[in-house]
Amino acid sequence: MPITRRLVAAGLPALMAALPSLAHAKSAPAFIAVDVDGKTRSLSEFKGRVVVLEWVNEGCPYVRKHYSGNMQGLQQAARADGVIWLSVASSAPGKQGYFPDGAVAKAWMDAKGAKPTTLLLDPQGVVATAYKAKTTPHMFVIDRDGQIVYEGAIDDTPSAKVEDIKTAKNYVAAALNDVKAGRKVAVAYSQPYGCSVKYKDA
Amino acid sequence: MSLRKLFAVLPALVIALVLGAQPSQAQPVHTGHIEVELVSQEAGAAPGSTVYVALSQKIQPGWHTYWRNPGDAGDATKIVWTLPPGWTAGDIVWPTPEKSRVGPLLDFAYTGEVLLPVPISVPASAQVGSVVTLKAAAAFLVCEQVCVPEDAVVTLTLPVVAGTPGTDPKWGAKVAETLAKAPKPAGLRAVFALQGSVLKLAVTGAPLRGADMSGAFFYPYSGKAIEHPPEQPIERGPEGLTLSLTPGYDFTQAETKPTELSGVLALNGVAYEITATPGTIPAEAGGLGAPPAAPAKAHGAASEGASLGLPLAVALAFLGGLILNLMPCVFPILSMKAASLTAHAHDAGKTRVQGLAFLVGVVVTFLALAGLLIAVRAGGAAVGWGFQLQSPAVVAALALLMLLVALNMSGVFEVGASVQNAASGAGGSGNGVGGSFLTGALAVLVAAPCTAPFMAGALGYALTQPPLLSLAVFLGLALGFAAPFVILAFVPGLLGRLPRPGPWMDVLKKGLAFPMYATAAWLAWVYSQQTGSIPLAALLAAAVLVAFAAWLYGLAQTRQIAGKGAVVPFILAALSIVAAVALVVVGVRSVPAAPAPAAGTSAEAPAGPGLAAETWSPEKVKELQAQGKVVMVDFTADWCVTCKVNEGTALKGQRLVDAFKANDAVLLRADWTKRDAVIAAALAEHGRAGVPLYLVYPKGTGEPAVLPQLLTEGLVIEAVEKAAKGA
Repeated sequence: MPITRRLVAAGLPALMAALPSLAHAKSAPAFIAVDVDGKTRSLSEFKGRVVVLEWVNEGCPYVRKHYSGNMQGLQQAARADGVIWLSVASSAPGKQGYFPDGAVAKAWMDAKGAKPTTLLLDPQGVVATAYKAKTTPHMFVIDRDGQIVYEGAIDDTPSAKVEDIKTAKNYVAAALNDVKAGRKVAVAYSQPYGCSVKYKDA
Repeated sequence: MSLRKLFAVLPALVIALVLGAQPSQAQPVHTGHIEVELVSQEAGAAPGSTVYVALSQKIQPGWHTYWRNPGDAGDATKIVWTLPPGWTAGDIVWPTPEKSRVGPLLDFAYTGEVLLPVPISVPASAQVGSVVTLKAAAAFLVCEQVCVPEDAVVTLTLPVVAGTPGTDPKWGAKVAETLAKAPKPAGLRAVFALQGSVLKLAVTGAPLRGADMSGAFFYPYSGKAIEHPPEQPIERGPEGLTLSLTPGYDFTQAETKPTELSGVLALNGVAYEITATPGTIPAEAGGLGAPPAAPAKAHGAASEGASLGLPLAVALAFLGGLILNLMPCVFPILSMKAASLTAHAHDAGKTRVQGLAFLVGVVVTFLALAGLLIAVRAGGAAVGWGFQLQSPAVVAALALLMLLVALNMSGVFEVGASVQNAASGAGGSGNGVGGSFLTGALAVLVAAPCTAPFMAGALGYALTQPPLLSLAVFLGLALGFAAPFVILAFVPGLLGRLPRPGPWMDVLKKGLAFPMYATAAWLAWVYSQQTGSIPLAALLAAAVLVAFAAWLYGLAQTRQIAGKGAVVPFILAALSIVAAVALVVVGVRSVPAAPAPAAGTSAEAPAGPGLAAETWSPEKVKELQAQGKVVMVDFTADWCVTCKVNEGTALKGQRLVDAFKANDAVLLRADWTKRDAVIAAALAEHGRAGVPLYLVYPKGTGEPAVLPQLLTEGLVIEAVEKAAKGA
């Protein structure tokens, strides 16, 4: 018995030290989805990489605001740093932002000059439900250990006006910088803004 | 007043008089889905005062704009003011929003016509007689299925007047009403406490005393404080209420926990602004249960009930009562009735008296229970039929009572009047009029939790009616339940068919004691599910004491008959009973210390080796449906034997597991063993007052199919397949 007690006593500080980080971390839910090329993609294939999830609805004015160049720029910069960028289209059939097939999605991406690693087609809203995605855009940054280190709005200025981008603080860029520098992400959560994700029972 | 000043004011007064007919001017702007206008409460602005100017939005039907915290999605209306020098605008006074559900999301929104008033401070230096233009650039998101950001620049001209300006003839009253209805602090005390995965918010104060709390809802100012979509179960108290919120990021993940939780508490027609601080939930903010089911929520029951009508409901109740005799939980009671009936099967007079006594016992107990149920519901507690078994104390008492009855049937002791017959061996409990009455009462107490087919609809109807009509339905139920026994007692032909009494009856009685022991054991198990292992140990110890007391009592009876002194065993027996009661009381008292684990484990318990059930919640159903799954919900309770039989026979087999897999179906379980307002509300929504209830939801969206209360495996598989195809 005394040995057990001593072991527990010795283990406690280590456990306590581990706790704070555990308390705030949130594991990114696993998912499987088909991308624009018809390939089955999963989060697990990007193990060890930093991953950005971006909920997209091409018809949503807030998405359009950021696709005036802001989103594409972020995508390019992130991918140059080795980040995996997955755009997710979760609009249900018949709803705004629904892509009937990969070709239609690709045509939109080409027209916008979007540069994500790929775009996932999620018409059943399975990935959206797993992440409780609420708005378009809704952004998630997942670190190399598979923890969600940022979730929320793309920036701190909820508006549909392009001119607001200049003065806004971009939370995703900041989170990616923090991850790159090995720092704790300063703003780990914000209330997302934009159109609601067009779930199929909505 | 100097002459100079008078001259300065005079033209202003003239202008004010001239403008009096048309004091403020504004042009509505149509932005596509909204007609926007800047309007004023006052007809003019006095220097040094505050005037309320409101942004009026006439929103196209089906579309909505957003509250200050838009909820899960959306964007609040914003106003940027351009005002004359010295004039300043305050924050928007936000009217209480509506809940707008979009699939799994919940937004806080406005529909129809809404006014967003803003206080404007008029500087003391404002020139009386001048006319100012207030300009507001409003940006708002208006959504239906899709969202459209719209913009409008609206202006309002206001004359600066001396003294108190009159109200605007067109808008004054409307703006004043909006301001009067807007949530305001009312000296309410608000406290929050994070209890595991629930964030309790207790609000107390004079305005809440005796207030209508149905539909109470907390709208947080911060979008990060709580999860918006989940229901907010309400617990009422004498001085206020407690809401069970689902904590959001700020409470679950943020490094520094919030020291404040502010927002709007909306009741029926009134709303208060509250700022809660961490603390202990005060006792006076709870204890009275959930509010009575709101009429809107009970629409399912009402429509079903209305189509039933009273005569049909009573007829169904009678039929239900009849069938109740065949329900698994009534079997031990049946055995008792059989035992007592055969004792005098060939003495028609005695049998008839017994039959009547049994009938009276059943009716009185049924009506007493129904009366109690109606009274408790009127008090607002979310209880339903079988509620008496939701109280551990009642379950413990029933378990000990069953044990006593069993011991009596085993011949350990005799009851009162039948002592004289004890030696003859032909007597037994339920022999006399009192015994038959008690048998009836006991039968109802144990049988009541089993809602049989036909009973469910009738009970659902009964509990939505005025008390007298409810009681009529319960009377039908009681008569149906007592009918077989009474008919047997009164129809001579039937009696003649029963075998003649003899020594075999004593054997039968002793044999039938065992279903009673089984009932006692079952109730002990129910008790352990409600409380835990330590209270169970206390109950088992009490059972031993009760058995000991019964044996001593029997010993004393034998000695009395033999003409020997019996005082010592009687006293010892009484002491044992007192000790047993004390043990149970201590056991029950210790329960609130650890209620959560018991509930958790019973809810998580898998149905059997094959099909695992997940814990039910209304959100979970929607979520799973959204994922394209068929969802079956099993509303059950440990004290509901019909439920347990169904779970054992129809919800367990390999065929069923395969069918669930093949149709991508999920089983959710709502455990009502203990009181639960959310489950009670869900039952009420389907016109039910008790368990079991089985629902099968199709994938995607759509209303569930209601399955019968006695399930077969084939029936469940068929329902699941149908739901999978139907979508």
